[in-house]
Amino acid sequence: MAFSLQNESISYDNTLILHSLSLDIKRGEKVSLLGKSGSGKSTLLKKLYELKKDETSYIPQELSLVDNLSVYNNVYIAKLDQFSTLHNLINLIKPSHTNINDVRDILKSFDLEDKLFTKVHSLSGGQKQRTAIARAIYANKSILLADEPISALDEYLSSKVISILKDKFETIICALHNVDIATKHFDRVIGLKNSKVLIDKKCTELSKEDIQKLYYVCE
Amino acid sequence: MFVSKNFKVTLSFVLIGLLSLYFADLEISTIDTTALTHDFFFSIFYLHFNDYYLLLEAFLKTIAIAVLSIFFSCIFGFILSLFFSSFLVRISLAFIRAIHELFWALIFLQIFGLNTLTALLAIVIPYSATLAKVYAEILQEHDSFSNTLRGKDRLSYFLYTKILDALPHLISYTRYRFECALRSTAILGFVGITTLGYYLSSSFMQGQYHEVWFILILFYALIATIKIWFNKYTFAFLLLGSFLYLDDFGGFNTANIKRFFTQDIIPYPIKNDLGLHSTLSWFENIFTNEILPGITNTIILTQASLLLTALLSLIFFVFISSKFSNKTTRISSHIFLVVLRSTPEYILAFIFLQLFGPSMLPAVLALMLHNSSIISHLIGHDTDVVQLRIDRTKRKTELYFYEVLPRVYAQFLAFLFYRWEIIMRESAILGLLGITTLGFYIDSAIEDFRLDRMFLLLLITAFLNIFVDLISRKVRNYLKIKKNIST
Repeated sequence: MAFSLQNESISYDNTLILHSLSLDIKRGEKVSLLGKSGSGKSTLLKKLYELKKDETSYIPQELSLVDNLSVYNNVYIAKLDQFSTLHNLINLIKPSHTNINDVRDILKSFDLEDKLFTKVHSLSGGQKQRTAIARAIYANKSILLADEPISALDEYLSSKVISILKDKFETIICALHNVDIATKHFDRVIGLKNSKVLIDKKCTELSKEDIQKLYYVCE
Repeated sequence: MFVSKNFKVTLSFVLIGLLSLYFADLEISTIDTTALTHDFFFSIFYLHFNDYYLLLEAFLKTIAIAVLSIFFSCIFGFILSLFFSSFLVRISLAFIRAIHELFWALIFLQIFGLNTLTALLAIVIPYSATLAKVYAEILQEHDSFSNTLRGKDRLSYFLYTKILDALPHLISYTRYRFECALRSTAILGFVGITTLGYYLSSSFMQGQYHEVWFILILFYALIATIKIWFNKYTFAFLLLGSFLYLDDFGGFNTANIKRFFTQDIIPYPIKNDLGLHSTLSWFENIFTNEILPGITNTIILTQASLLLTALLSLIFFVFISSKFSNKTTRISSHIFLVVLRSTPEYILAFIFLQLFGPSMLPAVLALMLHNSSIISHLIGHDTDVVQLRIDRTKRKTELYFYEVLPRVYAQFLAFLFYRWEIIMRESAILGLLGITTLGFYIDSAIEDFRLDRMFLLLLITAFLNIFVDLISRKVRNYLKIKKNIST
């Protein structure tokens, strides 16, 4: 089992966001997380990350990139704890060929290879998102928790990125706004509404009524 | 009727300012002011200096002290910024900052005498405190990396996610402080250190106005070319050269330090065990004759200058704003403002004092000209980026009051309140020129070698400054405007 929550209530800044939540996510599952803004998707992802930090890569919605560092160093950050402090210091001055090649290989698949030594502040929104995704892959973990990682990408790149992520991570839980992508690329969908899990089913079983209930019907 | 917060605050400060102007002594006391002013300004056409070698020495000494000061200040400032979350560190630094570098110089003159060490300490101590505060704020602002993602290697994460992100801002602020350090070093000449200010004041006293202009123009050239000679390629050479050029570091004497802290600054009745009654009467005497008039005059000068600074800024910015002025006007106004900005208030006040005689007038003029040149530069820049509709009014007055001013007014108040504390600190120090603010009484205490009185007055000056800083913060919070401007 990757995650197992039993009757958990999750608060953020002293406000109850998710109420009596029970959820099991098996290893190998690819789960999409749907729901309106403020439904608790980000809070749930953060909670899950706290539970299994060592095995998990996390892409926050705000991306957490360091603007004044190059794309290479932003990706390298994922492994700061795996190298010695001295190695990290040297890397800032002269990165090793091995490290550069490892990062370059990942960036290649995201059409970002030419931006390897470009500072992040001069990238577009989509390029920044791909940098954050590359960082998550470089961490080399088995689980991915991603908070709307493809919101700034076009349809072609979105599909490409998700295919790569599915290939690199054993388990994925990904918050999304795009229902079509969620149903097309993932096995299971969890829909959050009013602090609770409203939908939890296979993507193939998701109906139009479910979507209506999740996004449009007021209760 | 709805009255906005901006209006309430503005009205309060205008009323206090008008009241201060009413009580301020703004008399012109020189008999031949017009002739003197004419002589002074026309001397610019006869530039020369009596002893160029002496001037070169002062010029190099000014640069060397400023370079070493900024070098040590940024090291100490950075280390202290890492502990800025501690209340004790914050309050200590606020206290150190509240005392002007000239006051620090006067303190160290008593301990170490007139030498390089005194000059360095006078700048390094308050500058480290200022840099620590601003560095801490910059590091806090540049914290885009999520805490959730932060790993165990704290040093690596600190370096990768904070320092490197904040680095351009840290460098840019340090560079700005270096310009300030040059100004501070120059005015250390007024207390006897042989930097440019020393020769400026002695030339002025002798009526050698062409020499005054020579030094001023040299100083403007130095400031205007900073980017060329103070950069990442030259810094190491400047640092090494400054270490080698400066001598006279002597004067460090532990016995003097001990005497200063255990005897000199201890109130006379306590040191001589004269009892509580004598101590109270000692304090009462200073309070009535020095503290009270000193505080009153410092506040009057500050508030009057603040009001005039505000008015002048609102006029000046029009001349550098692309929304109102053509290119020729903008360029010439820019040069005028840069000159005013580069001249320390202390030097401006000194010049006006020679021209108009001793009253608050020279100080008010100096403070309003220097500070409004800074604020109007910032506001002018802000108005340039304001996007206006194509169908906006073509009439300049309407454009000013309906389109531009409402958009930049909150930012204008932010800049003004940020300068308030600085104006207060300068108002106190201008007492050294004979204007009866707190600095005047501090200077008299030093002349009489009554360092206990000096120390008490310095404490009062620092507390007054911290008090104004707190009110300024409250006002900025009330107006919900940007909390900090690191320029």
